[in-house]
Amino acid sequence: MTEQRIGIVKRNGQRESEDFSRDKLHSSLRAACLSVRSPEGEAESIAEKVCDKVMLWLERRPEVTSHDLRRKATETLAIFHEDAAYLYQNHRVII
Amino acid sequence: MDALSSLAIIAFAALIHASFQLSVSVLTLLSGHAIGKKTAHNKLIRLTSSFVIGVGVMTLLIVSFLSYFIGQTFGSGTPLVLWAGACGLVLGLGVAVWTFYYRRQSGTSLWLPRGLARYLNDRSKATTRSAEAFSLGLTSVITELLFILAPMLIAALVLVQLDSVWQIVGLVLYSLVSSLSLGIVWMLIGGGHRLSGIQKWREQNKKFLQFAAGSGLIVLGFYVYVDQVMTATVLAQAGL
Repeated sequence: MTEQRIGIVKRNGQRESEDFSRDKLHSSLRAACLSVRSPEGEAESIAEKVCDKVMLWLERRPEVTSHDLRRKATETLAIFHEDAAYLYQNHRVII
Repeated sequence: MDALSSLAIIAFAALIHASFQLSVSVLTLLSGHAIGKKTAHNKLIRLTSSFVIGVGVMTLLIVSFLSYFIGQTFGSGTPLVLWAGACGLVLGLGVAVWTFYYRRQSGTSLWLPRGLARYLNDRSKATTRSAEAFSLGLTSVITELLFILAPMLIAALVLVQLDSVWQIVGLVLYSLVSSLSLGIVWMLIGGGHRLSGIQKWREQNKKFLQFAAGSGLIVLGFYVYVDQVMTATVLAQAGL
């Protein structure tokens, strides 16, 4: 799948927008799976599947907020790994 | 106050300290980031152990400092007004913890300045060496000082009344008991438990932990007030 140029609006515009990066999304999803002690291969494959589904969702959107992107990624991740999705969603509200 | 009663008060104050959750949150985050980066299990244990030791050392240092300061300033005859002030602080904090400890949102976010919380978050992500984890442990105790100062102050006031050997026993007892919750989470992580399970438990039981910490502070403040302030006043008025 080719990389599209999609703007990510961060914290409701309080921080500078940046282009969407599939690699960044992939590594964060992979880390969430590894955090709940998934085997490396499984983490890799789940991150890949979630990225594909998120890319499909992004296809007709030139710009999304980081909050919406995280919500969509969490919903999709929950289909494959509920515990990883829980940590992915909540790691910012632990402290 | 005899040594056993003093140690019981110190242990109770430390138990209240243990129910505060910032260090546990930082340990959870530190472990999450380390496991997410495929850190080897031995290194994970080294990092988390260093963090726990850092928390214990800073707790020990602060209680020692408070005891030394009180001992040097007032000697072993601590004025009643200081006891009354400390009890007021503990009672006020108890009510504040009931009302404010956790933020009203999902997760286990605490009422801390957001800048400090973000700093701890960023540091826990950037920590890769044992020395950094040790420093993070020291820092997390300082960040939590707003909540833990009151039980530490009561413990320090009780400590200065003890003989020097019992003071050391009291100091070690406070540091160990106050690190209990952290020690349990450390063992769970070391034993291979999932962080999501630990965090879900903490989130589901946060209201209970908040109620227990607040109630503990109120009970401690009330008991110490009756034992140290009211009893002394009544005895003085009765001429005994």
